[in-house]
Amino acid sequence: MEDLIRTALSTVDLPGVVHADVRVVAPDRFVQLAVRNGAASALTDARSEAIGVRVRTDRAWGFATTTDLRPEPTREIARLAVRLARAASRHARTPLRVTDDLSPDRGQYHTPLRRDPFSSSFESIVELLSSAEKALHVSRSVRSGIATFQAWEENKWYGSSEGASFTSRIVHVGAGMTATAVRGSNVQRRSAPSSHGGDFSQAGFEFVDGLDLVGRAPEIGQEAVALLDAPVCPTGPTTLVLGSDQLALQVHESVGHAVELDRIFGSEAGFAGTSWVAPEKIGVLRYGSDLMNVVADATEPGGLGTFGWDDEGVAAQRTPIVHRGVLVGTLSSRESAAQLGLKHSGGTARASGGDRAPLVRMTNVNLEPGDLSLEELLEGVAEGVYLDTNRSWSIDDRRLNFQFGTEFGRRIVRGELGELVRNPIYSGMTPAFWGSMDALGNASTRHLWGLPNCGKGQPIQGARVSHGAPVARFRKVAVRGG
Amino acid sequence: MAPRRAAAPEGGDPLPALRRLPGGTTGDVRVISAAWMTIRFANGRIHQPHLEQSTSVSFRVADGRRLATATGSDASGAGLDALAATARALARIAPVERKFPGFVAPSGRSPGRLAFSTSTASLSPESATSIAEEILDATESEAAGARTAGAVTVGSERLRVANSSGLDRTSASSFARASVLVQRPDRDPPVSGWSEGAHWDAGRLAPARLGKEAAERMAKTTPAPVEPGSYAVVLRGPAVADLLRFLAHLGFGANGEVEGWSCLARRRGKRVAPASVTLTDDARSRETIPQAIDYEGTWTAATPLIHKGLAGNVVTDLLTAGRLKRRLTGHAQPPEAPFGDYGPSPSHLLLEPGDATEDELVRETRRGLVVTRFHYVRVVDPGRGVITGMTRDGTYVIENGEMVRPARNLRFTESVLTALAGITLLGKDRRIYSGEGAVTVPAVATRSFRFTSATLF
Repeated sequence: MEDLIRTALSTVDLPGVVHADVRVVAPDRFVQLAVRNGAASALTDARSEAIGVRVRTDRAWGFATTTDLRPEPTREIARLAVRLARAASRHARTPLRVTDDLSPDRGQYHTPLRRDPFSSSFESIVELLSSAEKALHVSRSVRSGIATFQAWEENKWYGSSEGASFTSRIVHVGAGMTATAVRGSNVQRRSAPSSHGGDFSQAGFEFVDGLDLVGRAPEIGQEAVALLDAPVCPTGPTTLVLGSDQLALQVHESVGHAVELDRIFGSEAGFAGTSWVAPEKIGVLRYGSDLMNVVADATEPGGLGTFGWDDEGVAAQRTPIVHRGVLVGTLSSRESAAQLGLKHSGGTARASGGDRAPLVRMTNVNLEPGDLSLEELLEGVAEGVYLDTNRSWSIDDRRLNFQFGTEFGRRIVRGELGELVRNPIYSGMTPAFWGSMDALGNASTRHLWGLPNCGKGQPIQGARVSHGAPVARFRKVAVRGG
Repeated sequence: MAPRRAAAPEGGDPLPALRRLPGGTTGDVRVISAAWMTIRFANGRIHQPHLEQSTSVSFRVADGRRLATATGSDASGAGLDALAATARALARIAPVERKFPGFVAPSGRSPGRLAFSTSTASLSPESATSIAEEILDATESEAAGARTAGAVTVGSERLRVANSSGLDRTSASSFARASVLVQRPDRDPPVSGWSEGAHWDAGRLAPARLGKEAAERMAKTTPAPVEPGSYAVVLRGPAVADLLRFLAHLGFGANGEVEGWSCLARRRGKRVAPASVTLTDDARSRETIPQAIDYEGTWTAATPLIHKGLAGNVVTDLLTAGRLKRRLTGHAQPPEAPFGDYGPSPSHLLLEPGDATEDELVRETRRGLVVTRFHYVRVVDPGRGVITGMTRDGTYVIENGEMVRPARNLRFTESVLTALAGITLLGKDRRIYSGEGAVTVPAVATRSFRFTSATLF
């Protein structure tokens, strides 16, 4: 692979090209095992290979990629990357600047694994999924059960014209299950440990063992059935307690994306949108209550956003984002950091594979825990609702107006969790919502959730990210039954 | 003219690997060769140009009725044999798929030669970036000082599907799409306008027209807040396309029918829209991005979904046709597709146009809102077809049959079935919108659409 990288770098050593970096990802492997209603709805072992060549003139980038890892196709796409950059330069009136970040001479990063999922048979996993899926069907009302396992292995070689070089092998795994109960047009879902495929970690099979899918399946099936008869969630402003799982997605949508510096500068305006954060407000903007502390930590063990170096060769970092409710940092790349006038990138430029150019992405964007147990946090609630496990999610293109539905809710009455309610929806405006947070769960309520499906960019790139979140309490939130 | 770039990589021949499968094992293979570019622009410059040449292979085997798939990027004989071995190893541990009918022998009528643009498939990097430059020039001329962002995608894809029952078919598609946002972020609140379009022929994209249209749709005055509530709405093409994409999944996706949660499960053959509404899925049409076969090699065909307001049946692939005991409609996705809830779904939607101009839609609506497009639409309640999302990039108030002022954006939470049933008028001009497949629609007016909250801009 080093030879291919040298081939590409020497091909683009042409007048006008001021920088080049090359990534080879081979194999980029993805195994998905799914059992749906007793049948194998998708057992797939996917291995792809790609080389991506990115070049920069003093005015524009060019990126080209191929799945053919031979020298001649590599030279061809390297030349095409240069043609693209030169063509793109025609319309650029100002120079393109990037930060001067030191890159590794020869780095290595490997996921620490106890049981490597890619060095043994998947038979036991299929058996586990079959057992769990079967156990979801606690009654005829459960019309659909699905249990899934996913694992990714990314083997990467990186080299740049600045002399940087590293290799990495990163492994992510996860699993989950969902029961769908149906009565007429009343459709209720319960998932564990989370919706959207479950929970994920940078780990081996040992992580999946710890999820106890088979043990939890009957309870999940019963909860889906119970929701069919539960009253609709009451409507009105109320005290909302969010479980760690839903709060992780709230952080993702209303903090993580909003603090991506490329969005803030308008690079994503034509697709995903921009941000309510203005560049000049970084350092002074009130994002939430004093209890709110958020960090982007690409060094946390087990995170899907944990790595040695990002896809520009910048070392993983732990960056404060919100400190005591004030926005103090962002997620950044070498280009966006330079645009803000920073000396160094935040090291969060990530690509979904060798076939994509790096973009500013989340790493592990975590809401730091407070000091209350769940019981202590509920004690302060005379009347409210506890909601958890995402069912629907949507937010505007500046990351202000959001609406989330969750799979279930429970009424809170005089500090106690009570009756189950169905179809709960809550909505709000990002700064007002975070400003209403008046209690945070302690470390015992905190979990690092893995989200494997964050989409961004054109062509679309799926990123795997994590969010640490405790439980939290919010006052006067608009809640209703859908 | 700049020299053309190299052609898409050639895929290998899957037939020998299929013939080498051992007794009791059958299979199907997809070889996809693609070459395309996406030229992204923002802040007045091309900031992310991307060029890709790729081959992907997906080999599904059935060990009896145990199914598994292996995918890779090596379409050589050795690469295909390796995929077959991987898939066989995985199939041996798969649960039995009792309703699997086996891979089908070739049958049905070829749709013949579909629309394809050789010049689109062989555009050079310089020509592709020129399309983006045309958009940038048009917006600068129409809205000097505004921020422009968007993307142009051009290229081609060749899909070959073969199976153990003797099927061996190929489809080639060319595609071009462009989108443009014109924005004034310096206004308080910021304002923006949008346009997009797609075609199988890049020469028909009309990039300057898209840039001009986006600039014209940007509010010239400050958007005012509008109270959430139910309004009559005129939905421009991109908004209609979004609603129909969700209807396609929630109402015509096969898994919802198999599992009983489709929002149209109990309404097949019944009226769900006025008689003026006819929605068809037709991947062969010249008014879409044509595709001759699905990912199992079944010929695509025109499939009525809503005929004169009456709901039709779901679409199928091999597995769901077996489960539902229905005919194959040619809507298979790649078998390695992520665990989508919906299963095979319509992907080349065409809504019959009416005869109204956009001005007439507004005039007849009298009082309500114009919505240019939606953002971040998600399912809230699949059984009732309820979805939510935001308006974006051009929302206007209609009073006395005229578009009188821009409105701040609103969140809708509404059943796609309510929107469909309330259609009062259809526009006469259709355009292709591309994303997940293609959707070809006019603007429509609908009687009642529920907005549940508002945002600050």
